[in-house]
Amino acid sequence: MRTRATLSGIFASVAILLVGWEAGMAAITNTTTGATTTTTGTSAAPTPAPSASAVPGAGASTSPAPATAPSGSFTGSSVNTRYGDVQVQIVVASGTITDVKALRLTDADGRSVQISTRAAPILRSEVLSSQSARVSSVGGATYTSDAYLSSLQSALDQAGL
Amino acid sequence: MTSHTFETMGTVVSLVLPDRAGSGQAVSAVTNRFRDFDERYSLYREDSELSRIARGELALTASSEVLRATYAAALDWRTATGGAFTPHRPDDTIDLNGIVKALAMQAAAQDILHAGFTDWCLNAGGDVLCSGREADGSPWQVGIVDPTNRASLLFAVSMDGARHAIATSGSAERGDHIWSATAIDPRFAQATVIADTIETADVLATAIIAGGSIALESILQRWRVDVLTVARDGEMTATPGFASLLASS
Repeated sequence: MRTRATLSGIFASVAILLVGWEAGMAAITNTTTGATTTTTGTSAAPTPAPSASAVPGAGASTSPAPATAPSGSFTGSSVNTRYGDVQVQIVVASGTITDVKALRLTDADGRSVQISTRAAPILRSEVLSSQSARVSSVGGATYTSDAYLSSLQSALDQAGL
Repeated sequence: MTSHTFETMGTVVSLVLPDRAGSGQAVSAVTNRFRDFDERYSLYREDSELSRIARGELALTASSEVLRATYAAALDWRTATGGAFTPHRPDDTIDLNGIVKALAMQAAAQDILHAGFTDWCLNAGGDVLCSGREADGSPWQVGIVDPTNRASLLFAVSMDGARHAIATSGSAERGDHIWSATAIDPRFAQATVIADTIETADVLATAIIAGGSIALESILQRWRVDVLTVARDGEMTATPGFASLLASS
């Protein structure tokens, strides 16, 4: 179906992160395995299966990690994927992943991709405090010629600034 | 500074320019620029080139090179946004409204710069592109209307960062026709995007309104833009860069 095909584009970037996650986890798994050869191999807590549900905090539902569970930051090796180069760092506290950071991410053309920008909730009061600013122009969703007549921009234009 | 206004594309353009020789010619050039885009692309004009294509009187392959280039640009945006932005109405009519106003603004900006003006502010129906500073040297400050109360501002941003283009898209305005090749996600009532170009800001604001949270996440990962969204329940989100541009007084 066409919808499916077009959806794939927008999910591609989500896939980048998931691929990055898996790639990073693959590398990290190796590291962790090497570091924990002296401990029991039955503890799976530090390496939850890489899947969409393996988000930070998801490990909290697993059984309590043994005292030897690793803590610290683990950096995966840079992996070349069809979406570009990906390198992931995870922060582990007592066997539970508490944070995932993409250290390097480039798109297929080699340009670096900005991933540090996240839209975070902002308090209405933080936003409203800017209301009293003296503005030179008023933006908003496109208004019609009729709506302009009763708009704040119209008032500004008539005031001649 | 004087504000010059004219009607075009079913809305109103306001251009604030310093009062000096050449401002009249600059305003004329900008007015002509918008008229050219309006006459070629507006579907409410029966005689526009795009209307002739919509009625089947003119084959797309036989249309002007500039129209085909604009359509190609819109298709590129469709691909880049995974279909959240699309130049096709549900009935498959080619509608370039989602990109034409921004392209006219960019062309007008070149006209203004060529006329020797570096300090100006161009507002086309709520999308704002500015350059330089106000007469007193302060940065241009753009207020964005509250989607629930058009008589008041929701917030104001100081355009003193590297980017000077700010576009807003809303699902409540009749003037905004939001279509999407993907399912519409009705989460956001309004999205404001600050970008390097007004074309990027305008298209991505539309894509966020159409594609909701998934589109927003995807866009923030792939473009250097700052975004503030207002959800239907009133909850707002902002990128760190956007929050830092909120006017302080």
